[in-house]
Amino acid sequence: MTEFKMFEGCTIGNRIPFIEAASRKVFEKVGIETSQAAFSCCPDPTGMKSFDNNAWLTIGAMNLCLAEAEGKDIISLCNGCTNTLRGVQHQLKHDSLKKEKVNKELAKIGKEFKGTIDVKHFVDVLQEHLDKVKGSITKPLNGLKVACHPGCHYMRPAEWMESDDPMRPETLKKLVAASGATVVDYDELVLCCGSAVTNAYEEHGLANLKNKLDSIKNAGADIICVNCPACFQQFDTRQRDLSKKYEKEYDIPVLYITELYALAMGYSADEIGLKFHRTRLKSILEKYGL
Amino acid sequence: MSIDFEFRKLVMDFHQGSDLIKYCYQCSRCADNCPVTKVSADFYGTTGYNPRNNILNALLGYKDLIFTEDELIIWGCTVCDTCDEVCPQDIELTEIFTFLKNQSIEQGKGPEFIYSQAKAIFDSAKAIPSQPAIERRREQMGLPAIVIPDVNELQTLLKNIGAAKKLK
Ligand code: SF4
Ligand code: SF4
Repeated sequence: MTEFKMFEGCTIGNRIPFIEAASRKVFEKVGIETSQAAFSCCPDPTGMKSFDNNAWLTIGAMNLCLAEAEGKDIISLCNGCTNTLRGVQHQLKHDSLKKEKVNKELAKIGKEFKGTIDVKHFVDVLQEHLDKVKGSITKPLNGLKVACHPGCHYMRPAEWMESDDPMRPETLKKLVAASGATVVDYDELVLCCGSAVTNAYEEHGLANLKNKLDSIKNAGADIICVNCPACFQQFDTRQRDLSKKYEKEYDIPVLYITELYALAMGYSADEIGLKFHRTRLKSILEKYGL
Repeated sequence: MSIDFEFRKLVMDFHQGSDLIKYCYQCSRCADNCPVTKVSADFYGTTGYNPRNNILNALLGYKDLIFTEDELIIWGCTVCDTCDEVCPQDIELTEIFTFLKNQSIEQGKGPEFIYSQAKAIFDSAKAIPSQPAIERRREQMGLPAIVIPDVNELQTLLKNIGAAKKLK
């Protein structure tokens, strides 16, 4: 059994750890083994990269070095972290000048980037274990209508994310379907959650979020399923602002795919800390006997 | 309005080995598919955020048209990478936009959250520093404590690269 280095990321690790709890429970059921490392911030592909691209490359490479030292692949719980680590790896492998420059800096702290390990998004690892997943489902979520939101950084840029499809992704839908739930299609599947622009220009961020959520509402979804903590927070915490601004009710519960799985694998809402969600899950959980 | 050749060279140099930006034929696929253009611009793209304009002005070296009072021109981008995907000329637009944002930071401009995140990473090696309440919650949920990263190493890197001095 291969063991991965767990890259939980800053947001999950230090703000919404209940998602890590559900993820670890699901990994255990499915037989995905992990261990920890002293990773720093990935760093953020929308924040630090915009601040200083060289810093983004160098810190990203520093994190890759930590996994290289143990000869283990990374499993990431976050779209942003996966995007950074895969992006840094891709750029350094395809641009010897950049690699030289980064390694010159890393040498000063006794490290060297070699490019010997792989970085995987946990969704892709779960997909490889789909039989095990199906075998662990004890409470199929029959009837639950789920709108999937894989998120931009899971699938783009295609050159380094190498997901199934950068504009028509299916993997998350397949994972959701394996839980017994019903995937509902909606027009704005690949539309960005708008997390980054909301931080800088709330007005535009909320207008974008409205486009996304109206589309999900029209499709009649009970919940939104995500695989990124930034998207999770955007949907979970900003629907209230949206309701206020547009005087229309937005309160669609949000579940991480691993939370959805944990429920379908028999864990209770309490065991995985669903009470820490801002959007209200109670009526949905009651309706489906969870 | 004047052409800044130095700026133009920096744009062309930023993405080593790829000078595809010069093949932009202003088809507007990028702007047509940009979620922020959709919610911020009028039909003719004269207001709001517009990736097509940015590519044109970057390629031509019209620095003054990019770095204006209105930072939305640069910072409106939400980094969804849709434009890269739909561009018929395979231009890596977001790489160019990363360069524009880096330049904006060099000038001491840019949104507050970018600076506060960079500062948090410099101080604690995490974009979101750990807090006692969350540490307790982790423990209650049966999660292992986060392994503390080497802040000194990270600070050494950021200082040597010259990123630390851009912090506010
Ligand atoms: S889609 Fe590509 S070619 Fe068309 S305007 Fe945008 S950058 Fe230029
Ligand atoms: S990456 Fe930026 S410019 Fe490109 S489509 Fe997304 S928001 Fe628009």
